[in-house]
Parts: sequence; C-alpha cells; structure tokens
Amino acid sequence: MRSYVEEVRALAAKDLRVEFRTRERFASMTAFVVLSALLFNYAVDWTVVSPQDLASALIWMIIVLGGLLGLGRTFELEKEDGAMQGLLVAPVRRDALFLGKVVANCVLLAAVEVIALFAVALFFQVNFIPNGLPVAAVLGLGTVGFVALGTLFSGITAGTRMGETLLPVLLFPLLVPLVVFGASATSTLLAGFPATMVYGSLRLLGAFSLLALACGMALFRYIVEE
Amino acid sequence: MTLSSVRRSALVLGIVGVVLTLVFHWMVFFWVSTEAILGISQRIFYIHVAGMWSGLLAFIVVALCSAMYLWLRDDRLDEVGRAAAEGGIVFFAIGLTSGPLWARLAWGTWWTWEPRLTLSLLAFFIYIGYLLVRNATDNPEKGKMYAAVIGLVAAVNIPLIHVSVYWLRSLHPEPVVVRADGPPALPPDMLITLMTALLAWTILLASLILLRYTAGRLESGTDNLALEGG
Repeated sequence: MRSYVEEVRALAAKDLRVEFRTRERFASMTAFVVLSALLFNYAVDWTVVSPQDLASALIWMIIVLGGLLGLGRTFELEKEDGAMQGLLVAPVRRDALFLGKVVANCVLLAAVEVIALFAVALFFQVNFIPNGLPVAAVLGLGTVGFVALGTLFSGITAGTRMGETLLPVLLFPLLVPLVVFGASATSTLLAGFPATMVYGSLRLLGAFSLLALACGMALFRYIVEE
Repeated sequence: MTLSSVRRSALVLGIVGVVLTLVFHWMVFFWVSTEAILGISQRIFYIHVAGMWSGLLAFIVVALCSAMYLWLRDDRLDEVGRAAAEGGIVFFAIGLTSGPLWARLAWGTWWTWEPRLTLSLLAFFIYIGYLLVRNATDNPEKGKMYAAVIGLVAAVNIPLIHVSVYWLRSLHPEPVVVRADGPPALPPDMLITLMTALLAWTILLASLILLRYTAGRLESGTDNLALEGG
C-alpha cells in the first residue's frame, strides 16, 4: 500500500495538473483579485484615507472573496461523469483525499495571492519588501486555515441544489478569527513594526489552521459517504 | 417512549414554561429592585441573559446530537438536532434584539463591534446555514449528514463566544452569576428573578424541541407512507 504522503501528493498533483491544463480557476481568481483592487481605487476617497491604511483590509478581503470563487469549484470536476465515484473507489484514504484537495487549493491560492500582492503594491504604492517574510508567514498560515475550511464546506455545498451560493453563508462566520488576526498582523507589519509584534497573532492563526485541518480530516469522510 | 407521550410531555412543559415566563416578566416589571447605576434599563438584562442562555443551550444540544448522529446514524438524533437549531435561533434572536436595545441606553449606540456580540451574531448565521443545508439536498440522508458536520464544526465557535469576553478587549459586562473568583455578585432579588427567567426559558426550549421533534417524526412517517404507497 502506498504511503500516506504519496497518496496526498498524487491527489494534489492530479488536481494541479488539471488546473495547469485548463487554467479555469486560476484565470478567474486572478482576474477577480486584480479587478477588485482596481474597483477599490474608485470606491475610496484617497484624500480622506491613505492607501497604506487600508492595504491590509484590501488584501484580506480580495483574498477571501477571490479564494471563495476558486474554492467553490473544488469539486466541480468530480461532479461530472461520476468522477467522484472513481475517486472514492480508488485505494486512498478519505482524509488523504481531503488533504490532497487542500494542498492543491493552497498552491492555487498562494499563486493568486502573489499576484494580488503585486497588484496592491503597484496600484496603491504599498511596500511589502521590508517585512516580506513575516507578511508571507501571516498570509501562508491564514491561507491554510481558509482553504481547509473552504474545502470541507465546498464538499458540502457541491452536494446541494444551492451550490456555491451557500458557501459564503457557511464559511464567512467561521473565518472571522482568521480575518481579525490576519488583517491586524498584516496591518502592523505594513506599518513597519518588527515581526516580534505579531507573534501572538501568528500563534493564533497557526492554532486556527491546525484546528481547521483537523476538523476537515476527521469530518470529510462523512460528506463524501454514499 | 411513544410519540404521543412525547407530545404530552412537551405540552405539559410548554404550559409550565409559559406560566413561568409570565411570572418572571411580572417580577421584572413589578418586583425586582432597580439597579442603582444603570437604572430601569437594566431590567432588560433578565430577558437578554435568558434568551442567550437558552440559545447557547440549544446549540450545545445541536453539537451533541450532530456528534452522536455521525456515530450512531439514528434519525431521532438528527430530528432533535434540527429542533434544537430552530429553537436556538428563536432564543438567540431574542438575545440579539434585546442586547442592542439595552446598548443604546447604556453605551449610546445600537451596535458595537464587541466580540461576544459579534460572535453571537455569527453563531446565529451558522445555524441559519445549518438549516439551509438540510433543505437544499435532494437526498434527505445527505442533508442530515451535512447538517451534522456543520453542527459539529460550529460547536467550536460556542466556547469562543464565552471566552471572548475575557480574551479580547471588550465592552461587554463581565459575568455576575458564574464567576471564577467567588459567589454570584447579584443581590438576592435580582438573582431570584434571573434564575426564574433562566428556568422558564430552559423549560420552554425543552418544550419547543420536543414539539418540533414530534412534528418532524410525523413528517418523516408521512413521507415514508407516501413512498410505500407509491
């Protein structure tokens, strides 16, 4: 029997290969985050607030909304032609199936986040370089928690008539701790404070992400059960 | 226990709950003494706390039933969970409307981003999602399973609501009844009024859950008969 890591890797690689060939989710998510940043420019009166003050809020909101766009379609491919049945009869553990989806979604969202950061830096003259690594750590931990919960709930909404419209109703209330600690840490780092100031937020983001991963791994098998 | 005996118990509990509700409202308006600093506006505290208490209690029932349902696959557990979610939404709605009414007088604003208030509103929406998912599936068994998963994940939120008043900087008054550092800090008449309110709405919640459970069981019984009859 193949090792657990090998199962996760194979499943994630399968999803990423499909995405690399079609680029459907990546293209729509990227367009969404860039256009959101652009629209945001016209929605705010910059003579009243400075772009730097709103940068962390903007980053987190476009990542959450753009991510939602992609996460909602996590199981879209499996819904067609009984592909989900094929995955379920494959000799892989259910939690490995979940982790494979999470890894693939994390890679996809991380790629979109890089473009989102470039867009925000370019449009609003925000400099991420001085605290680049800590900002990446905050976004990375936040992404894992967001994707873990999003993938679990996407599995649920894929099985309902309401589909993607239900995803934000289920997901947003649970994302609040993530946005609170993620956005405040990003804001502190963008203001030029040292990384030691955000260790508390990083720990809480890590705990949230671990909890989300554990919930997903434990409960995913129930939502794909026939 | 047959369905008719469950319904009878629910009706008895319902009558007791309604009578106690009338009694505690009488106590709130005519009997309990007025708080020295907050004045007459503090009287809404009894309704607010009882509403939030019953709402949280209902959601703990949802979490327990969800976990048990995933384990045992007993439809009765799912029915109790659904009934508790509906009851909890009603009581949380009371808590969430009475809170801002009091806040307008005490804090000068209808709404503030106070952590416990915010998390209570979020919990309210999570359970709206819990009920939406159940009704949005073509296969009812799937709907039950999805709802149980959401009920369990949402349970993680309930302890957060309780600890957030300490954890984050908060405007919310600190607990005056169950305190880590000593006995209740309420005068006896206020404590008696609060306990009556808590008892009244706990009994009323139990009655609502049992009534909704009975209705749910009858509904699924009718559905099964319709399926058998073709």
